[in-house]
Amino acid sequence: MDWMIILQQLVNGLTLGAIYGLIAVGYTMVYGIIGMINFAHGDIYMVSAYLTAICIAVFMSWWGWTFVPLILVLTLIVVILFTSLYGWVVERVAYRPLRGSQRLAPLISAIGMSLVLQNYVQISQSARTQGVPSLISGHPLRIGSEQNFVQITEMQILIVIVAFLSMAVLSYIIQATALGRACRATQQDRVMASILGINTDKIISIVFIIGAASAAVAGVLVTLNYGTFDFFIGFVTGIKAFTAAVLGGIGSLPGAMLGGLILGLAESLFSGFVNTDYKDVFAFALLVLVLIFRPSGLLGKPEVEKV
Amino acid sequence: MKKIALFCLVFAWLGLSFAGDIIKIGVAGPHTGAYAAFGEQLWRGSEQAANDINAKGGINGKKIELVKADDACEPKQAVSIANRLIDSDEVVAVIGHFCSSSTMPASEIYDDAGVLMITPGSTNPKITERGLVTILRTCGRDDQQGTVAADFLVKTLKAKRVAVLHDKDTYGQGLADAMKAHMNILGVKEVLYEGLTRGEKDFNALVTKLRSLNVDAVYFGGLHTEAGPLVRQMREQGLNVPFISGDGIVSEEFVLTAGGEQYVKNVYMTFGADPRNIKAGQQVVETFRRQGYEPEGYTLYSYATMQVVAEAMKQAKTTDGIKLAKWLKQHAVNTVMGVKSWDNKGDLNTSDYVIYQWHDNGQYSEL
Amino acid sequence: MLDVDADFSTKQTILDAILAALIAWLFFLPITGVLLDGYAVQSAWHQPFVLALIVFYARCLIAIIVHTDLGKRLFVGKGHYAGVEVVDKTNAHWHWLLVIVAIGFVFPFFSSKYWLTVAILALIYVLLGLGLNVVVGLAGLLDLGFVAFYAVGAYSYALGSEYLGLGFWTALPFAAVLAASFGAILGFPVLRMHGDYLAIVTLGFGEIIRLILNNWTAFTGGPNGASAPLPTLFGLEFSRRAKQGGTPFHDYFGLDYSTIYRYILIYLVLFLVVCVMTMVVVRLRQMPIGRAWEALREDETACRSLGINHVVVKLSAFSMGAMVGGLAGVFFAAYQGFINPSSFTFFESALILAIVVLGGLGSVVGVIIAAVVLTILPELLREFSDYRVLIFGMSMVLMMIWRPRGLLPQRRQAFRRT
Repeated sequence: MDWMIILQQLVNGLTLGAIYGLIAVGYTMVYGIIGMINFAHGDIYMVSAYLTAICIAVFMSWWGWTFVPLILVLTLIVVILFTSLYGWVVERVAYRPLRGSQRLAPLISAIGMSLVLQNYVQISQSARTQGVPSLISGHPLRIGSEQNFVQITEMQILIVIVAFLSMAVLSYIIQATALGRACRATQQDRVMASILGINTDKIISIVFIIGAASAAVAGVLVTLNYGTFDFFIGFVTGIKAFTAAVLGGIGSLPGAMLGGLILGLAESLFSGFVNTDYKDVFAFALLVLVLIFRPSGLLGKPEVEKV
Repeated sequence: MKKIALFCLVFAWLGLSFAGDIIKIGVAGPHTGAYAAFGEQLWRGSEQAANDINAKGGINGKKIELVKADDACEPKQAVSIANRLIDSDEVVAVIGHFCSSSTMPASEIYDDAGVLMITPGSTNPKITERGLVTILRTCGRDDQQGTVAADFLVKTLKAKRVAVLHDKDTYGQGLADAMKAHMNILGVKEVLYEGLTRGEKDFNALVTKLRSLNVDAVYFGGLHTEAGPLVRQMREQGLNVPFISGDGIVSEEFVLTAGGEQYVKNVYMTFGADPRNIKAGQQVVETFRRQGYEPEGYTLYSYATMQVVAEAMKQAKTTDGIKLAKWLKQHAVNTVMGVKSWDNKGDLNTSDYVIYQWHDNGQYSEL
Repeated sequence: MLDVDADFSTKQTILDAILAALIAWLFFLPITGVLLDGYAVQSAWHQPFVLALIVFYARCLIAIIVHTDLGKRLFVGKGHYAGVEVVDKTNAHWHWLLVIVAIGFVFPFFSSKYWLTVAILALIYVLLGLGLNVVVGLAGLLDLGFVAFYAVGAYSYALGSEYLGLGFWTALPFAAVLAASFGAILGFPVLRMHGDYLAIVTLGFGEIIRLILNNWTAFTGGPNGASAPLPTLFGLEFSRRAKQGGTPFHDYFGLDYSTIYRYILIYLVLFLVVCVMTMVVVRLRQMPIGRAWEALREDETACRSLGINHVVVKLSAFSMGAMVGGLAGVFFAAYQGFINPSSFTFFESALILAIVVLGGLGSVVGVIIAAVVLTILPELLREFSDYRVLIFGMSMVLMMIWRPRGLLPQRRQAFRRT
């Protein structure tokens, strides 16, 4: 076995894992606060990919900008803003009216919302695969000989750094700010929190907005890195990210990142050294195995049953 | 209430009076779902052809009316709409379906009902191998396509270490298998045979694996949606070996999904002689372009299919599927893609697969 | 016309609607207003305006309707409490039931082939809904991979006939047993899991089965699928020419050949199975095992402390549900004549779950109605072909908002003093 190849697969897995982790954050935060699986989250991420391409196209082909850093920063800001709006609207329209009803109602509503978003984008933007021009490319970092090397691209570095940075920021918000305290209070006991003067509806909206914003960050990075997307990516990536969130222990922020990284690495290594056909089977089997031995995921708190 | 009843009556009467003067033809394919881009090609082509034929007086004085039927490339929906087209819409012929996996179950129903079905896009060999009478196609077969690709790989490129990839779908895997079989006959054994997952965009792990195996050519059976990112990631990891694929990447979107013109260099594909370059079709191509639509991929195939159906009905003076199929298997038809004729199974007599090469200006040309 | 009550304020309504329209305009602006075209974009500024306008009027209309008597009756104070409704007296309308069953049996002889196939699909979903209802509705185990058992059933018929020479009639019990054992096997590792962890593990199982069916080309045919033979009736075949060594049905009775006979046969058998299964599920709910399922759903700890063996109870729920799912799979394969893994995606699981939840968890009649509605609705919507799935998704959301506990929430008969 060649060390360079193993290292390269680790780099591949780390990048993929960071992306899964970023999207998993949205699942885990929403789950943490209202205990529902937000199936439409993957589609929010898909919308952000479209927004990215639209922003870049507007800046470059309409307004004729050429200064790449400015385009990237502005794209990121605009996409985060609009995707947050999508997250907020979805919560307001499809989930808030269901607050307090039986547990499965929001799940079905979320599945419906996921269908709506997919088809809404498909009808307005056509079903064809879209793309963005490659803005950052050219000088990957290569270590090793001409034939046998490990390569890290600028985008891969950016993805991993941004993923960890957003994780740190989110953890800080949850752990150390007034907003975070309100979030945690709502999570533990919504009725009690509202009695203590926390506007729980507002807190839940904010959580949805934060979740959508992290999906937007992932959307921008992924779109720039792979250059192509369609209206179906939300489903494909969404299921993986959701798996990552559960693997790490749903409701736990570091768990989402850990789950994402493990899933990304597992997929890359299995695909690279065993078989690509059965890569997804392996990923799901890993999840099942982990849950059999740790029924609440790797970093999840064990459920305390109240009697 | 009375008014409504009267209105309905008038409407029904109008419907009846028109029923004699129209010929209903179904256009079945993925009009929604992940493959809707192909459904659009199918619909655009058939619709334009129907309009053109109607403008010239229709089929023996009868106007063509198209019925759009969506199967979303799901076999379950394909069966359901096949029955619907026959029973409720009472179509006399069907253009479609597109995905081989949908065409397979649906064609059984058309054959059973004696309705003519011509697919412009399903290339899986099994479709015409099951002894169904009324099923024809206006495209080639994957085994013909695979043979051309294998010849090219072994004889022209002199490749020794070939990786064969596919997208685990009826079309993609069928094509890859056909190519692999012929390549093995030519004495080259593949170093890797694996399938990737449709809809994913990250193939870096697979590309690193290709690198570690020192492949000198990659064959991919699948569509441009996966081929694009795969090529891009190969080039990004410095793997500049030839990349060969089939008619699933015949679309300008391939350049788009690959992330730009610089990535499609050294990419080859097999496809029928480009219908847009055939002289017979220049006028139609112009019509499409005037509408701001590039008739790529299967658009002209669908156009030609509509022409074939109309011509058969005109000449055989019937709408009976079995007679139409019989007529088509004995006569050649002039289409926008040149003259087409069929063998007894319903396959085209001539396979016109050739190798195309993509250039770094984002265009492809015949090799 | 519409009488609004005193709380209604025109000014407030219009202000609300303007705000909603503004947000809607922003929401629709980038996706519908700027259209991607390669690496460039085209503008379609009118689209967000039109959509925002629609939102404006819709918001006004909703505001008016909820302030009328009709609106209050429809929307307010319904379904926002949990638990099972208790009814006092038996409201079993025997004669109505008989009429419905009778109509069900004669339906195929008057129906067109197209509507017959739709009816078959609807019944298949009824069966699937009944199966999942046992798992999710009664036992409270959220299963997102129910489609796995459906696939097991379908493939056991198709592959069984290919490798073992099974016919339709032998395949029915074979698939039922096979699917039930799969249910038990898959149920075993998830005994310790609760709620959403259970959901994702079952989802994982569903995907694993589909992926294996897709990848194991040598055995299952992979993406090319496997073909399933047509059902036979006492050796009579339903194809134009006999393929399985019997006599064609139409020749035997001297009828003209038509494909409708085979669908009539499938429909009748399927209808019978659905009737039997409905009865079984209804009866099971009254029996100790059914009551144990529901008790477990309400409080697992209490059940275990009262000596209910949770392993047996959970596994029996899984196998029971899986068995019904497997049966549905056989009918699906027989009806379609060809199956491939793309019919067994996660979306299918979600659809079956939607049937159970929309119908009302645990409610048999509700599930049947929901299954019929959810199969026929997309067919009716075919006229709107492009907007079909969009409307379907929207109606899922709206239904949940309107009736979060489903169309017909579960009811339980009160114990009567005799």
